[in-house]
Amino acid sequence: MHKCNCENPLVPEIVEVIDIIDETPDVKTFKVSKIGGGVPFDVMPGQLAMVSLVPVGEGMFSVSWQEDNDHLQFAIKRVGLMTDELHRIEVGQKLGVRGPYGNGFPVEACKGKNMLFIGGGIGLAPLRSFIKYCFKHREDYGKITIIYGSRSYADLCFKDELFDKWPKEKETEVYVTIDKPEEGWDGHVGFVPSYLEELNISPENTIAVTCGPPVMIKFVLEVLEKMGYTDDQVITTLEMRMKCGIGKCGRCNIGSEYICLDGPVFTLAQLKQLPPEW
Amino acid sequence: MKVFKKGRLEKILDKLSESAEVYVPMMRGAQSGFFDYKTYNPDFDELVLEALNVLRPPKEVVFPQTEKMYSFKQEGQDVIIDKVYEDENPRIIFGIRACDLKAIEYLDEVFLTCGYEDAFYKKRRENTVFIANACYTPGKNCFCESMGVNPVEPELADIVLREYSDEGYVWEVKTEKGENITRLISDLLEDKEVQLPELKKFVIKVDYDGVAEKLKGLFEHPMWDRLSEPCQTCGICTYICPTCHCFDIQVKAWGDEGYRFRCWDSCMYREYTQMAGGHNPRETAKERFRNRFLHKLEFFYERYGKPLCTGCGRCVFVCPSGVSIVKIIEEIKGA
Ligand SMILES: Cc1cc2nc3c(=O)[nH]c(=O)nc-3n(C[C@H](O)[C@H](O)[C@H](O)COP(=O)(O)OP(=O)(O)OC[C@H]3O[C@@H](n4cnc5c(N)ncnc54)[C@H](O)[C@@H]3O)c2cc1C
Ligand code: SF4
Ligand code: SF4
Ligand code: FES
Repeated sequence: MHKCNCENPLVPEIVEVIDIIDETPDVKTFKVSKIGGGVPFDVMPGQLAMVSLVPVGEGMFSVSWQEDNDHLQFAIKRVGLMTDELHRIEVGQKLGVRGPYGNGFPVEACKGKNMLFIGGGIGLAPLRSFIKYCFKHREDYGKITIIYGSRSYADLCFKDELFDKWPKEKETEVYVTIDKPEEGWDGHVGFVPSYLEELNISPENTIAVTCGPPVMIKFVLEVLEKMGYTDDQVITTLEMRMKCGIGKCGRCNIGSEYICLDGPVFTLAQLKQLPPEW
Repeated sequence: MKVFKKGRLEKILDKLSESAEVYVPMMRGAQSGFFDYKTYNPDFDELVLEALNVLRPPKEVVFPQTEKMYSFKQEGQDVIIDKVYEDENPRIIFGIRACDLKAIEYLDEVFLTCGYEDAFYKKRRENTVFIANACYTPGKNCFCESMGVNPVEPELADIVLREYSDEGYVWEVKTEKGENITRLISDLLEDKEVQLPELKKFVIKVDYDGVAEKLKGLFEHPMWDRLSEPCQTCGICTYICPTCHCFDIQVKAWGDEGYRFRCWDSCMYREYTQMAGGHNPRETAKERFRNRFLHKLEFFYERYGKPLCTGCGRCVFVCPSGVSIVKIIEEIKGA
């Protein structure tokens, strides 16, 4: 079917879109598998893959979930050239993928801990892979708290999991907020960092993992510090512009670290060693 | 010693060109660079083996300015990658200087180590032979010695040429690849004992020692405002640098087919780090300028144990605003 040179890390493998789910007006989840079934490669939570709508463009995305050896999921927001076109494709479309890239979340080191996930907007996509991993290995992790916010109700990703599936998991609490009040919404209103402060989740034996727009991350980090979280208890996943994914093209550096290779996941302690260019 | 007389140069190049693309330093109009000898036209071009540093470094032989990666076809929802352009053509860089060879060593670090081998680079690199030209009289912008390069003993060279007088060059074989090439032209060489010149003094010297360590504490130093002030972010310094390796990946498509290619990019441009949603971690010229010099003098050193500058002096020469990496190193030393 395709003559891909798997020795060449910059040449993608061709995969097929097997399902598309509308998450929000501008986010869709794409499920992809190898032609004939199976995952093109195994990924750990928090790892990345370069997805291409081959004739249009390539973009780096977090793998929001690997469903066993069946398929990979990507939650993709429509923001530009390639993602616009991606939002127009239908099931059966062939895409290119290469990966997996990046270090991923420290799932082993977090065993035995309570987990606090704090997400904003599309930033829930990478967290979701870790959240679902915790549920899959539920006995390995303590209490799970998820705080998530978006601009409006419509902009919340993964609604059935947020409102239906996750709250039913053992020892799990899910807190959802939207930026501004709207008709029909009787949940919390306000930004994620202030909601986090209100909820004041104890740092005791807890690891906080956050991802969202850079401004949100900055405020969340301040709040966590106020709540008594040490720099080793806070993990974030960064986004920088990326092209190669393998530490060659140069653009994703923060100091001497390449985010595609050495990241995207860092503890706050590690992040503080780097120049503040993110 | 094996030597060849200058009058035999073109014969040697003719012979080598029969089995490889031979890149030689030439003046071509206002441009100077390493061009394929097959394209040499004596009416327009001038062979300048004696030139110390032609403007365009030969890095493009192993890492072209634009390079096709793979082509594809689309039929309805199907996509086929039909060809991967890994280029294994034999190539010779004839007359490369020690600083530019040092740069290849740094490109090797980037493209061949730290987890992934870049297959496009690797194929070109493996099939390239380096015939270096030792420098005995450093130029007015050269400071390679200060950056750890020995101009008379180019590392990585398969063959080293040494201009012993106006008469000709010593041909010194260093590797097996070099032996094989030498066999092709052995009838153009002769045996002769000659006296080699002494390396003359460098006009420019700079002390890089300790700079990488010191820079760790200078990220927020006010000197970056002053130093970056003249920079127009034109990016020419990055294009002519033999060690700059940043690239972009783009696509060219017509109808249902096309190809993906990569091309040099520059950290001096805002778009380089522009992200979806408008966020840009290096929005201002100062941030980009600082990143360029920190990458060369600190970050690369932290990652690979060497600076990403070989002291070739090109950026000092070409910058329209007089920005000089030598002065910047001195400022850092004095900060
Ligand atoms: C580590 C990482 C993880 C990511 N995870 C996700 C995810 O899970 N879901 C998701 O929807 N998006 C994610 N992104 C962002 C995604 O890569 C970009 O939104 C996408 O590449 C834009 O492609 P485009 O062709 O539609 O945009 P373009 O038309 O190319 O550009 C639109 C805008 O996006 C910016 N942009 C282009 N390419 C990138 C890029 N590679 N990274 C960041 N900004 C870019 C452009 O500068 C421009 O501002 C992630 C990015 C990174 C680096
Ligand atoms: S050549 Fe000079 S002006 Fe142009 S980007 Fe480089 S330092 Fe700035
Ligand atoms: S930074 Fe300037 S002097 Fe150093 S290798 Fe590059 S072009 Fe040459
Ligand atoms: S994306 Fe190329 S170095 Fe990270």
